Amino acid sequence: MSETKHTILTVRGRDDNNLRISSKLFEEEVRGAAAVADELILESYGQHNIGLRLGSVDKPLTIRVKGPAGQRLGCMGLKGATIICEGSASDDVGYLNIGADVVVKGDATNGVCNAMAGGRVMIGGSIGARGLTMTKWNPDYERPEMWVLGSVGDTFAEFNCGGVGVVCGFNPKNPANVLGYRPCVGMVGGKIFFRGPIDDSYAKTNAKLTPPSDEEWQWLSERLPEFLDKIGRSELLAALSARAEWNVLAAITPQERALMFSGPMPMAEFRRRIWDQGFGGGDPLRDVAPGLERSLIGVIEPGEFRRKKPFWANRDAAAPCTFYCPIHIPTIDRLRMLREGRNDEAYEMLLRYTPFPASVCGTICPNLCIQNCSREKIDYSIDASVLGRSVQTAEPPQALPATGKRVAIIGGGPAGMAVAWHLALNGVEAHIFERDQQLGGKLAQTIPWERLSRAVWDVEISRFLKTKNLHVNLGASLSKDKVEELKKQFDYVVVAVGTHQPRTLSFPGHERVIPALEYLKAAKSDKPMATGKQVVVIGAGNVGCDVAAEAYRLGADQVVLVDIQKPLAFGKERAAAEALGATFKWPFMTREVTAEGLIGADGVLLPAQTVIISIGDIPSLPFLPDSVDVVKVAGASWIKTDEAGRTSDDKILAVGDVERPGLATNALGAGKRTAEYLLAAFKGEQWTPFRQRLINYEDLTLAHYDPCTDRGTTDDQQAARCLSCGSCRDCHLCETICPTGAIFRREITPGPDGVDYEYVSDDDKCIACGFCADTCPCGIWVLRPF
Amino acid sequence: MVSVRSIYTSPSSLTYHDLPWIIEHREDRCTLCGRCTAACPVGAIYLTYRRQRMPKLDVLQKKRGNEYRHFTGIRQHTVIEKRCIGCGMCASVCPNEAIGPHVNDNEHRSAFLLNQKGDAYKRGGRRNAPGKTVLDRISFGRISMLTDPALDAGRHEFNINTILGRVLPPEEFLRRKLTGEWIPPTREIFPFIIGSMSFGALSPNMWLGLLQGVAYCNEVLGIPVVMATGEGGCPPWVLKSPFLKYIILQIASGYFGWDEIIRAIPDMQCDPAAIEIKYGQGAKPGDGGLLMWFKVSKLIARLRGVPEGVDLPSPPVHQTLYSIEESVMKMIQTMSMAFGFRVPVYPKISGSTSAKSVLNNLVRNPYAGGLLIDGIDGGTGAAYNVSMDATGHPIASNLRECYLDLVRQGRQNEIPLFAAGGVGKNGNVAQNGMALVMLGASGVHIGKYIMQATAGCLGNEMGRCNVCNVGLCPKGITSQNPKLYRRLDPDDVAQRVADVFMAIRTEVKKIMAPLGRSQSLPIGMSDALGVDDKAIAERLQINYIC
Repeated sequence: MSETKHTILTVRGRDDNNLRISSKLFEEEVRGAAAVADELILESYGQHNIGLRLGSVDKPLTIRVKGPAGQRLGCMGLKGATIICEGSASDDVGYLNIGADVVVKGDATNGVCNAMAGGRVMIGGSIGARGLTMTKWNPDYERPEMWVLGSVGDTFAEFNCGGVGVVCGFNPKNPANVLGYRPCVGMVGGKIFFRGPIDDSYAKTNAKLTPPSDEEWQWLSERLPEFLDKIGRSELLAALSARAEWNVLAAITPQERALMFSGPMPMAEFRRRIWDQGFGGGDPLRDVAPGLERSLIGVIEPGEFRRKKPFWANRDAAAPCTFYCPIHIPTIDRLRMLREGRNDEAYEMLLRYTPFPASVCGTICPNLCIQNCSREKIDYSIDASVLGRSVQTAEPPQALPATGKRVAIIGGGPAGMAVAWHLALNGVEAHIFERDQQLGGKLAQTIPWERLSRAVWDVEISRFLKTKNLHVNLGASLSKDKVEELKKQFDYVVVAVGTHQPRTLSFPGHERVIPALEYLKAAKSDKPMATGKQVVVIGAGNVGCDVAAEAYRLGADQVVLVDIQKPLAFGKERAAAEALGATFKWPFMTREVTAEGLIGADGVLLPAQTVIISIGDIPSLPFLPDSVDVVKVAGASWIKTDEAGRTSDDKILAVGDVERPGLATNALGAGKRTAEYLLAAFKGEQWTPFRQRLINYEDLTLAHYDPCTDRGTTDDQQAARCLSCGSCRDCHLCETICPTGAIFRREITPGPDGVDYEYVSDDDKCIACGFCADTCPCGIWVLRPF
Repeated sequence: MVSVRSIYTSPSSLTYHDLPWIIEHREDRCTLCGRCTAACPVGAIYLTYRRQRMPKLDVLQKKRGNEYRHFTGIRQHTVIEKRCIGCGMCASVCPNEAIGPHVNDNEHRSAFLLNQKGDAYKRGGRRNAPGKTVLDRISFGRISMLTDPALDAGRHEFNINTILGRVLPPEEFLRRKLTGEWIPPTREIFPFIIGSMSFGALSPNMWLGLLQGVAYCNEVLGIPVVMATGEGGCPPWVLKSPFLKYIILQIASGYFGWDEIIRAIPDMQCDPAAIEIKYGQGAKPGDGGLLMWFKVSKLIARLRGVPEGVDLPSPPVHQTLYSIEESVMKMIQTMSMAFGFRVPVYPKISGSTSAKSVLNNLVRNPYAGGLLIDGIDGGTGAAYNVSMDATGHPIASNLRECYLDLVRQGRQNEIPLFAAGGVGKNGNVAQNGMALVMLGASGVHIGKYIMQATAGCLGNEMGRCNVCNVGLCPKGITSQNPKLYRRLDPDDVAQRVADVFMAIRTEVKKIMAPLGRSQSLPIGMSDALGVDDKAIAERLQINYIC
């Protein structure tokens, strides 16, 4: 087919009766005509969707719409179709158009180019709202274009996704605003050329306003004549070709938008420009809190921003051994010296606490010190008796030269001897006045040699007597007058007479009963009392056990200890008595003592040839001046003392059982305490009693130590096991664990405790993690708020 | 009775798996840097040394015995005072993800032992009732698609502000306008209000950070957010600043800080947004407050007009008020007069069955500018657990009843109701707030949500953290200790305030647009609401949906 005839057909939108035919019928007629024609003249009458899917590139089709067009003119138009509306058009011109040229010579209403993806829509007048919305561009095809000679209505180019709009602003509907209210909302592609004023309400986050670039201006200039030609207004070319009158609103790319979305104003700028200025240019708290620092700090900070800081509280808390020992012997220090090989120093130190390390610590003492030993949580407590016995042969420490002060001590038992010992070592003349013919009080008089061996005892007595400044008067019995005399002769008088009057009961036959004190004293003398085969001891305490042991030694076959309550006997004394065969019977209430023995409350006879009563002793104080107040408890008088041992007479002090009954170690502790008080008084110094707090065992770190399989029999073995509670053992673990390297050790001038080093935490490095305190085996490091 | 125990157990002894939070520590990852123990606000964790016995068990040979292996770890304390609070600061500072708290999903025993030394359990936070709230369950079901004009939250313009203050009926308004009579003051504000948190309960950096963010919202973003001060005064420079207009000043039963406010009135550049008279709060209805002495720093003392380092009690009731009539008369009138009747004044009460009585009284009072009701899920810096968990009234039905009461009287547009208490408890702040709006609230107050969203408050409804009351806030939100509050950057808080309100604005639009509303807040638009529980639906008079 070399040449075809140009066929023009006309389709009418009204029927023979001049009535409107439906869009459906009209479309069928148009489609039929289009199949054979090159050009259609449509005398439409408001039919919709004119031009829908007609024409093609191979077979172009021109459609001239002469009548009133319905909605969606050029809807789904294809490339090759040219649809020309001679007048104005209704809504949605070019709806879903993908290639047709749609020319409207008049105005078009709302929705022009909605969802258009190709082709051109050219409007010779103005358009209504929502033009160029949802317009697409498929990159494989040409961009859709919208040309408007006049102006566009509100909400133009919403969600435009690639379409190009040209708004020439010629004879606009609203001369003040050719693009309507809020154009370009949601626009993500394409651009809009416009000429004339706008109201600046375009979506700033979607579109940017610029003058046309050279390329853009070239694009527009090249196409403008064709548009004007199509709408028949070529005469306007010159008027519309002033580049300066044109502007472009182009879609902002997502990348550009991401950069924009840091907020309308950076906060730092807001603070500087607006916030601070609101307060006259400064911090709003500067007047009420001058100098208040509010700048940022981190969560983990060293220095002043820590909530706590570590303190190396060496020797701040007492080890249990030191705390519970009535003499407060610092056993941890002894053991440290032993660990360091300073054995002689260790022994001497012990002697400076007690004159009887071997007899008391090493032999008869129940060792209160180690009953709370922390080491027990790991394996066994430290054996303090081993330590005591090691000192047996040590010489007395060097005494200070005599100061000229003199103290009389009435009573040469452990309490009195302790007072004398400490005073003498410190240069005070100590004069002991003892009623008996030997020193030692009950230790010497009543404790069986089986329990406290003569060898040990004699060594310690001779060491005692070797001490300078010490004077002993044996067989000195005192009266009130004599005491008054002593008060004149001496700076102080210390009463340490103990309890040497047995307590007895007054049941029938009580005259048949021997007091334990007398029995024991006799047993240790040359003339022990006659002892029957069957012996009953009334009162099953530790003295009762000593009585039982002595009774067995003196010929008894069977010893029964009776008590009205559960026997109080414990420890070595009880073990010794039981080993010899003594039995305990309780509760037992004595009704009567006869020649046959004891008759209990129930009438049962407990056969005995010897009955000994052992229910305690009380002080005997006929010599005591009336100036000394006593306190009466349970029918006996005891001297009333304060915590230093002072009595109501300021020249008389009292120590030991005469204050309150206790163990030998209590008497030694009281003696040391009162001696220290006197030494302070002589020097005019303030005396302070032992006030150290007990260490919390939770503060120690026990897991550093492994359990030993046996307790050990040498003092070195004890030293090795000691945990050094509360006293730094210089192990460097804190220095090692500190994660910031804040802790270091340095040497210092030794203080009174003789420690010549300290560990220090550097505030500038420490973050207060507490690892030092959690690691310290001895419980030295503590974290405290500061 | 003295006894010796090898392993100490007392009635309060617990094991680590009795505690609400269990520290999980991975020795294989731990570098022993000490940060976790340094960061822990309550000292719950410590370095521990462990010794493990490795017995040599050889049947055929004589060399028997034990060897020991030593190793370290991080362990948690089991005493009540040092129990892990689950805040997770340890995890946040750990360089190796070696440590962190995990919630104990077993029954935990500490609940029985928190009442040590006769003191009942106190904490910060709010009702610890995890799970969806009634507000969370409400959905917006009346969607406009083809029936009404559809709206596009992103495209259309919205007016989502609300009115704070007494709104006169139109005829009365016109009458007064013509005769020149007094017209009650109103404010157009954003319907999400930062609820009362005092300068004192909050650290300086938090409080000022919030206000800075509020100022930013107003002056840069154009969102008219206001914030309530809580009781405890306001720094004089702030009172005299242009930002006062974004502040609702509170007066409460402790009357703290009012000397500075009264002193500053002549120098004020602008009026405050409103005056809130606090009669009650949702977290601890009928209970007072106590700012502990250790929070009364020099600064706080100065702001509150009190000596430093004393306890500051706010009694449960105003000491000189004996009836609703008198309260309303005395306080609302006085506060209105103080600011020349130019500032709305409204009371804040706890959610309660007596709320309606208060409301009806306010309706008759010409000066009352609104009513704020704070429900049981409201938060606080410090309260007895029993007050928080079991005292009070949930906001939803309380607000709804009050609103419907106004509707019956035809006064629902005159006196705005504000609701609070658990808004955003599970993060759904806009949804919760809009549900309350549609149940009848003119706006909502949010406090705890703001702390969580703008400052990273770690508290939750599983008992996590909640130590606001003891001044140990690891984020520096509720502490007066500079070592803690300086961890908080006010600029960051302000930025988050801006972020949060921008997002709330978007979400409110996303809720309103489908309902076909853009030009006024849908106050009382309860036909849009649905809930999947018939009883709730009936009680709230909204749709039952399933």
